[in-house]
Amino acid sequence: MEDIVQRKTGDRIELISFRIGDQEFCVDIMAVREIRGWTPATSLPQAPSFVKGVINLRGAVLPIVDLAARMGMAVTEPSERHVIIVTRICDQQVGLLVDAVCDIITVETGSIQQTPDLACDVVKTFVKGLLAMEGRMISLISLDNVLPTLEIEASGAETASILAA
Amino acid sequence: MTKTILTVDDSRTMRDMLHLALTEAGFRVVQAVDGLDGLEALDAAQADVIITDINMPRLDGFGFIEGVRKNDRHRATPILVLTTESDTTKKQRARDAGATGWIVKPFNPEKLIDAIRRVAA
Amino acid sequence: MDPLAAIKVTFFQECEEQLAELEGGLLAMEGGDHDPEIVNAVFRAVHSIKGGAGAFSLEALVRFSHVFETALDLIRGGDIQADQETLKLLLRSADVLADHVRAARDGGVVDEGRSSAMAEALEALASGMGGGGEADTGDGFDDFVFNPVSIDMSDAPAPADDSVAALLASITGGDADGGAGEADAPASDDAPSQTWHVRFYPQVGLYQKANEAGLLLRELGRLGEVAVRLDASGLPLLQNMNPEDAYLGWSADLTGPGIEESAIREVFEWVEGDCYLDIVREGAAPPVAQASGVDAVGDVDVMALIRAAQAAEVPAAAAAAPTAPARASAEAKATAEPAKAKEAALDAKAQAAAREASPQTIRVDLERVDRLIDLVGELVINQAMLTQRVAECGLQRASSVAMGLDDLEQLTREIQDSVMAIRAQPVKSVFQRFPRLVREIAAMTGKEVRLIMDGEGTEVDKTVIERLSDPLTHMIRNAIDHGLETPEEREAAGKPREGVVRLAALHRSGRIVIEISDDGRGINRPRVKQIAVDKGLISPEANLSDDEIDNLIFMAGFSTAATVSDISGRGVGMDVVRRSIQSLGGRINISSRPGQGSTFTLSLPLTLAVLDGMVVTVAGQTLVAPLTAIIESLQPKACDVRNLGPNAQVIAIRDTHVPLIDIGRSLGYRTVTPPPTEGVALLVEGEGGSRAALMVDAIQGQRQVVIKSLEANYRPVPGIAAATILGDGRVALILDIDAVMVPKPHEGGGAIAAPANGGLDTVGAPTSLAKVG
Repeated sequence: MEDIVQRKTGDRIELISFRIGDQEFCVDIMAVREIRGWTPATSLPQAPSFVKGVINLRGAVLPIVDLAARMGMAVTEPSERHVIIVTRICDQQVGLLVDAVCDIITVETGSIQQTPDLACDVVKTFVKGLLAMEGRMISLISLDNVLPTLEIEASGAETASILAA
Repeated sequence: MTKTILTVDDSRTMRDMLHLALTEAGFRVVQAVDGLDGLEALDAAQADVIITDINMPRLDGFGFIEGVRKNDRHRATPILVLTTESDTTKKQRARDAGATGWIVKPFNPEKLIDAIRRVAA
Repeated sequence: MDPLAAIKVTFFQECEEQLAELEGGLLAMEGGDHDPEIVNAVFRAVHSIKGGAGAFSLEALVRFSHVFETALDLIRGGDIQADQETLKLLLRSADVLADHVRAARDGGVVDEGRSSAMAEALEALASGMGGGGEADTGDGFDDFVFNPVSIDMSDAPAPADDSVAALLASITGGDADGGAGEADAPASDDAPSQTWHVRFYPQVGLYQKANEAGLLLRELGRLGEVAVRLDASGLPLLQNMNPEDAYLGWSADLTGPGIEESAIREVFEWVEGDCYLDIVREGAAPPVAQASGVDAVGDVDVMALIRAAQAAEVPAAAAAAPTAPARASAEAKATAEPAKAKEAALDAKAQAAAREASPQTIRVDLERVDRLIDLVGELVINQAMLTQRVAECGLQRASSVAMGLDDLEQLTREIQDSVMAIRAQPVKSVFQRFPRLVREIAAMTGKEVRLIMDGEGTEVDKTVIERLSDPLTHMIRNAIDHGLETPEEREAAGKPREGVVRLAALHRSGRIVIEISDDGRGINRPRVKQIAVDKGLISPEANLSDDEIDNLIFMAGFSTAATVSDISGRGVGMDVVRRSIQSLGGRINISSRPGQGSTFTLSLPLTLAVLDGMVVTVAGQTLVAPLTAIIESLQPKACDVRNLGPNAQVIAIRDTHVPLIDIGRSLGYRTVTPPPTEGVALLVEGEGGSRAALMVDAIQGQRQVVIKSLEANYRPVPGIAAATILGDGRVALILDIDAVMVPKPHEGGGAIAAPANGGLDTVGAPTSLAKVG
């Protein structure tokens, strides 16, 4: 995502915009594999609240992240109206649960505004920039931090398991 | 009609090399992995020429050659012995067993085809 | 890849196999096995490497393997005794040979000093027996003793059975040429002639070895212009003729520039001793003058007919002589393209024959097998979904559709088993690396070590095997470096100087178990605990059992590079080992007795692809329990369930009480446990042999499921081994039995300081379920 912002002015990128509550967000279209309707997920024990569980995506196990919850907003109660955006993050596929997909938009990278400093940490973690479009504000999401990083947790689990002994 | 060569060698590398050289020269190749396997393959292979290694597990080249010569259906099939050394005693033993000729490894394809030509049309 | 490069790849693969064979054989010999076939196999291994290396002009490898081979040949022949000293030398030579192979393959360099020292030692060994080793002149056939045998042609018998020879007889039959004149012709010194007179009288042995006079004469024709005359004077009357005997002879005049006698000899190289051969350089007289009674036209015709006959593919099997002439001349009329012309298609019968005769193995790209396994996995899921849909339609179990589905299920399962078997390999491919590793570490550490390996033939999925190599290497290194004492220390402790490291593999209840044990000093528990305290991994007050202390060495952060050499006992990167084993769905345990050694036990699934499972329901969730862990399922009676302390319950099963664990609660699906009498208890046994009763709400049935990784797109989940996809298309989680058997921290006590692992990303992080050890 960093590189999107840093591309030189004049480069155009395509983004998919979607809605969570009354806010609009977007991600680089290159990271999106497909968009599909909500199917009931199998919940995972002791998963973070923003992980809705896993679904079967043509034989692969796909984790579903409730993007609203991930960004510290209210937890989504998914229904058939909701949409899963299947994205590729590093080498993993992750489904993002959102309210609705809005549009495909093309913007110049130069028109992406840096996230203002006043934003809280959670926002800073996920929002890499802001777009102004027809009077709307669209937040450009960085996918890198959507799934929790492993290392910190692994060591946590390791130590905790000794604790348990 | 394409001539068939039966190659008997426990080394996959050598079998592959023979296969490559022989098929490129237009021969059909049947492979066996040791002397016993070679004897078993005789009837199915109906080889015009046999090329065999000496050092093999289960049944070595000498035993294999003797076996072929004892087989009425195949005793007139030319047998070329593959040998890395130009050790005269080994050659003599191979000849005593009934080998038609020999090919000294490492061989190049021309040498190989030459040797076959000397025992088969 | 060009074909030769592909063969080179094969060659190096084969080298690895040969090296393993070599080492295994030498070790067996060292262990006192005197089976001559082992010595033969050892010799063959080096011999094959040399042969292939020669083909690829890998000179350093050829040189070293030649010296090695020479020594082994002498041992094979009984000229050298393979005593322990010798075998040590041979084993080290095998290591150097391996270095040569790898250097040739990877373009590296071999430690030249070590290599030449070893080569010298081998040469000394070979020459030590007095014979000076194998005389490899490279030109051996010069030593071949050629004994001309004169044949009394006057009562020499009838024509050869050979069809080409017979053909020749039919053409020029009756032409007598005593040949005495040529034999006596002096070789002129001052004016080297361009013409050679060759007299060639095959004996029966020539034909018995499947040589053909005609072909040899044709070869002669490649050296220059040749005129051939048949001498059929030895031919007896038909009734006296033995079809197996040799009766014909030929004279040939060979003319051409610069023909050396050696070139002519070379043509007859293979039949020396099986014929009378006389090669004489002609004086001044032209060949035609020598050919008494035969004109040049006739001679040319002989060669032409030979060629024609050969082109017509004379059958290899020799026909009886009396009928041969007619048939051969008929064949001679039929001309055909030389056999060298490439045939476009092979006929099916010959292909079948080739298949039959080929070795019973094929090599396949792993990718293709994996693709097949994936597809079969999808097939299994699809078949399950189809079965479920049919069931939902309310069809009778006895209906033809349902019965057809049963057959399909059976077939699917068989296909799956067969496909899985393709990937199974003996662990030998990993184990065989270790003898060398042990020798090298022993040499580096100055310890005396004997490696005992057991169960090398135990099969397991190739992926598992590949990923076992690193952790096992690590553990063996640790066992010698840290586990075993020095010979002096051992003696002082009343142990034999030589330490033993044992590596064993076996199948146990659908898993493969690998044990690495040593008879060394065992874990230094006070030291390990101190390190853990120093590193803040446990609090100083923690009251840990011996087992728990031993298992501290698997903790991340227990060992760091700075302390590696400082640690007595073990602990070098064991967390890494543990993690790599866990990533294979495996577990690692340590048991140790001070002064007597340690045993690491790895337990791994045989395949990473399928699992026999029991499908159960817990708190509205569908879960799969691995069948291998389940001993029995039972309906708990109220009277058998007892409370133990504030939170725990046990259940009496026959004579024993085992912990009763509610899966729903332990996975966090619910906070209140329903009465055990309303559910089903699965009596399970963990890796360590401990038992527990796992409470579920209901059992749906048994099923083979395809294992799907959670880590591929997510991460490991505590208490969950993997995921699968059930017949309804939904994901179900596969229970990690051992993990759920471990009590939760708030139940077990919190004596150990929790590490700082704060931060947003660890919200809801797993805390309790990963099993220790």
